[in-house]
Amino acid sequence: MTTMDTGERRRSSDVRPVITDLIDGATVLSIAEEAWIALVGEDEILVPIPGEPPVDIVSSWVDIVGPWTGSVVLTTGRGTAEELSRALLREAAPEVLEHEDVEDAFGEIANVVGGNVKAALPGPSGLSLPQVGNAPVVRNPVDVCRVDVVWRGEPVSISVQGALPPLPVPSPTRENEVPL
Amino acid sequence: MSLTATSFDWVRDLVRKESAIVLQPGKEYLVEARLLPMARQMGLTDVTKLVETVRVRPDADNTRRIVEALTTNETSWFRDGDPFTALTSTVLPSLLSARGANERLQIWSAASSSGQEPYTIAMLLDDALPNATSRVSITATDLSREMVQRTRAGRFSQLEVNRGLPAPMLVRHFTRAGNEWEVSANLRRMVNASECNLAAPLPRMGPFDVVYLRNVLIYFDLPTKQSILRRVRDLMRPDGWLFLGAAETTLGVDDSWERVVIGRSSAYRPLKGA
Amino acid sequence: MRALVIDDSRAMRRIVSGILIGLGYEVRDAGHGREGLDVLDEGWKPHLLCVDWNMPVMDGLQFVSAVRSNPAWRSVTIMMVTSESEHTQIVRALAAGAHEYVIKPFTADAIRDKLALLGLLPEEVPAGVPVPLRSSEQEVAL
Ligand SMILES: C[S@@+](CC[C@H](N)C(=O)[O-])C[C@H]1O[C@@H](n2cnc3c(N)ncnc32)[C@H](O)[C@@H]1O
Repeated sequence: MTTMDTGERRRSSDVRPVITDLIDGATVLSIAEEAWIALVGEDEILVPIPGEPPVDIVSSWVDIVGPWTGSVVLTTGRGTAEELSRALLREAAPEVLEHEDVEDAFGEIANVVGGNVKAALPGPSGLSLPQVGNAPVVRNPVDVCRVDVVWRGEPVSISVQGALPPLPVPSPTRENEVPL
Repeated sequence: MSLTATSFDWVRDLVRKESAIVLQPGKEYLVEARLLPMARQMGLTDVTKLVETVRVRPDADNTRRIVEALTTNETSWFRDGDPFTALTSTVLPSLLSARGANERLQIWSAASSSGQEPYTIAMLLDDALPNATSRVSITATDLSREMVQRTRAGRFSQLEVNRGLPAPMLVRHFTRAGNEWEVSANLRRMVNASECNLAAPLPRMGPFDVVYLRNVLIYFDLPTKQSILRRVRDLMRPDGWLFLGAAETTLGVDDSWERVVIGRSSAYRPLKGA
Repeated sequence: MRALVIDDSRAMRRIVSGILIGLGYEVRDAGHGREGLDVLDEGWKPHLLCVDWNMPVMDGLQFVSAVRSNPAWRSVTIMMVTSESEHTQIVRALAAGAHEYVIKPFTADAIRDKLALLGLLPEEVPAGVPVPLRSSEQEVAL
């Protein structure tokens, strides 16, 4: 009996949590809302509805490595990313925003949202520096918590997505048995 | 449609009657901004429609929501610093020497908003007294039901903990709860939160050794300030201490208080025989 | 008063510097911990260091440890300004010698409140800026 119990326990702890076990959309939305209020402006509202995604999109993200491993990815149209950067810099914004200014500011928003997502997850975990470009691919469709919002009429998505492929489904009977 | 004069007057009268808060003419924009979310939630297009709806069918819940929406709940940890430094530097030592070792100290945060003020006091006392949980009780009251519930829950957003809470106190007294920070069970046990309208007869409470009545008298007219100060005094110990907001004073309002300067702030104490 | 702002994001450096300049600080900045140490090595003596955590080359925690191991910089006040907000991480930063911790996202008020706690709000406001009444000096309308 004892041996069997231990075996069961070990197996169940081997199961990796997926993000939806750890955080919900409402928490991700409230993290994003706080970031927008503080960084973008007091009256900046995120309306939680999906918008028509633009063709020319860009993403910024940070990776989280710990009990849960994955990325926090912001995706929006290039124009919106630029507007967001301008809003972030406010008076400090230069006349002409360089490409690097936008990458930097848009990346910093991912860093702020990502850092707070990380703190809401079981830790300790590490946080990477922000990256900007084409979002990392979704490895496991069930390991994703995605929130779609509209900011100043433009769609922005915040996706907390696992970096690991799904675990192979153990066969319900004896796992190590070789099929004949 | 923007807010009509009649609707504004109706809101003003209602808020005054229910909370004594005086909305000066010219605050139409404030009424609109604060009530628009409620109107939208009820499926109405503007605030004038909201006022009409509630006027025709008065409903205790909607009236309360209107009044609550017009309270200003701005607050922060250790707000203005000095009134809290004074608690540990002067008030507490004086109370400890005047009271028996088993006497409970009773403190009242009389317009506690979301709870930063009562929990600031709780943290200070917990650090200053070895047996604070059994020695001190903090009563936190506010007119707003939402604020009382928030105080009871003891949960604060990231933006709120950033406002004036020293980091060593954050890590000592709070834990993470999702995206928020939750104050320790120990401190929550010291704080009892309930609804209380300062402008109405007060429930039986106290007697209090220390009262924080901060940044709320500013919303009232002179007669209301006078009657509140009188009622508060009736709930205080004769050697108690009252702290007001930085822009508030008893001087010229109610002369039954003595002003005591403590460092850079002032406290008020009931005048003997007044 | 002087402050050194260390953050790998130049947007964030501009924001934090802007707030500090508005409060009357003279500000310099650096893009990571190593650069921050270089500024200190020049002999420029700030009263305040605002330090991000996750940075390339030398991160904020390493920077704090380096500053704390040099007696010449003993009196400087260190405030972390970072999105790193796990409870255990804040404890680590304080243990390494940071005095305060501001979690991103923050508002300008948050920085001002923390500096008030640290006794680092410059009394003198730069010339040309109208001096605001301290709240304790405001007139009471009765
Ligand atoms: C600006 S806050 C002050 C909070 C805290 N005392 C401080 O100094 O930071 C004012 C609070 O007074 C409350 N309030 C307004 N009218 C009131 C009344 N008639 N009775 C009790 N509380 C009232 C509001 O709900 C609000 O939470």
